[in-house]
Amino acid sequence: MNTQEYINSGIVESYVLGLASPDEVQELMQQVKLYPEIKQAIEDFELAIEANFQQNATPVPAQVKSNLLSILEAEFAPVVSNDAIPNAAAKVVPFNTTAPPEAPTVKPLFNWQLLSAAAMLLFIVSACLNIYFYNAAKTSANQYQALLTERSSLQANIEVYQTKLEEMGNGMKTMLNPSMKVVKMPAVKGMEGNTATVYWDMTTKDVYVLNNALAPAAADKQYQLWAIVDGKPVDAGMLGDCAMLCKMKNIPNAQAFAITLEKKGGNATPQGTMYVLGKI
Amino acid sequence: MTQTQKLTEAQLIDALQQRQQAGFAYLYDNYSGAIFTIISSIVTDKELAADVLQEVFVKIWRSFDKYDASKAKLYTWMLNIARNTAIDTVRSKAFNNSQQNRELTEFVYENAGSVETNTDKIGLRKVVHTLKDEYKVLVELSYFQGFTQDEIAKMLDIPLGTVKTRLRAALIQLRTMIKP
Repeated sequence: MNTQEYINSGIVESYVLGLASPDEVQELMQQVKLYPEIKQAIEDFELAIEANFQQNATPVPAQVKSNLLSILEAEFAPVVSNDAIPNAAAKVVPFNTTAPPEAPTVKPLFNWQLLSAAAMLLFIVSACLNIYFYNAAKTSANQYQALLTERSSLQANIEVYQTKLEEMGNGMKTMLNPSMKVVKMPAVKGMEGNTATVYWDMTTKDVYVLNNALAPAAADKQYQLWAIVDGKPVDAGMLGDCAMLCKMKNIPNAQAFAITLEKKGGNATPQGTMYVLGKI
Repeated sequence: MTQTQKLTEAQLIDALQQRQQAGFAYLYDNYSGAIFTIISSIVTDKELAADVLQEVFVKIWRSFDKYDASKAKLYTWMLNIARNTAIDTVRSKAFNNSQQNRELTEFVYENAGSVETNTDKIGLRKVVHTLKDEYKVLVELSYFQGFTQDEIAKMLDIPLGTVKTRLRAALIQLRTMIKP
C-alpha cells in the first residue's frame, strides 16, 4: 500500500475531526502499527487543529470556572499538606532506675521510653484519624449541600409543572362548558395540515382559541385571530404562547373566524396569509 | 503545582488521572478558551453556550478514565466531546421549540441546514466558509451539524460514494489552509 497516498487521502483529517466511520478507524489503527509515518501525520494534524483553536480562543464568563470547582469539589483527591501531621517531638526522659547498691536490681514499674513511644504513636494515629474524619465530614457536608441544592431545583420544577397542569385543567373546563360554541377552523386551500378551534362563550361573548396544529411561526411573525363581522375582519387578538387555550378579545357578534400570519404584534387589518377559516 | 508552572501533556494527564484539583484547574485555564470556540461556533445563544462548556468540562473530568493517550492527543479528545455535546444541545433545543410532535429523525431531516446554528463564523468554521460551495456544505453538514455521510447523501440527493470522496477532498483542502 502506498503510504503517502494513504496519508494524503483525507483519512487522517477525518479521523482527527471525529468524522471517520468505525471501519475506517479500525483500518487506520492497523496501518498506524505498520507505518510510523502515519502516526506522525496524525499528530501533525492534531497539533495544527489545536493551534488553530488556541489562536482563536474565546473568552469564557468567569462564572463557569467557579461553578465547575463547586460542582466537582467532592470528586477531587484530598490534599495532604506536609504540616498536616503536627510535630509530635516529645522529650523522652528515661526514668532513672538505679537501685541502692546493696539491693538487687529492681525492675522499673514503668518503662517510660516505651510508654512515651506508645503515647506518641497513639497521638499520631489519633491525628491521622482526625484528618480522615474531618475530610469525610467535609465531603458529607458538601454532598448534603449538593443534595439540598438539587432538591430545591427539583422543587422549582414541580412548581412549574403544577402551574402548567392547573392551566391545562382550566382550559379543559372552558372547552367543555355547555355555553361554549365550538367553531372548528379547517385549513384553507394550500394550507393543508393546519387547524385550530375557537371556543366562543355565548353568554359572556369571551373568545378562546386552541392551536390544534398550526405550523410554527418564524421568530418575527405571529398568528392573529379575526372575527368576520358583516363581511369585515375585526381584530380578535394575537395567539401567544399559551399552555392550552389562548384567551382572546371579547366578540359580541360574528359570522366566521379566521387566523392569518402577521408580523409580531399584529396589524389593524389582515395583511398576511390566511391559514384557517371557520364559518359559524 | 504553582500557577506559573507549565506542564507537559503527559504531566497534565497524570495529574488528572490522580484526580487532582490543581490538574483540573490547569486544564480549564489552558484549554477552556479553545474549547469554548468550537461550542460557540455551533450554539448561537451565548448563555446556553456557557452552560454547554460547563457540561463538557464535567464530562471530560468524569469520563477521564476512558481517555486513551495512544489513540489521540488530549485536545483532540476534548474537542470531539465538545462538538458532539454542542450538536446534541442544538438539536434537542430545536425539537423542544417545535410545536409539532413528530419523530425526531423526521424533524432533523426536514430542518437540516435551517436549524439555528451560529452564523458568526469564528475559528475553524470561518476557514470552512472559504472553501468552495460543494466542499463547504459537506463539512458544514458533517462536522458542524453532525449528519452522517449516509444522511447527507439522502438530504442532498447525491450518491454516498460522491459524499465520501468529496468530503475527503474538502478535508485535505482544509488541512492546507490551517497548516501553520
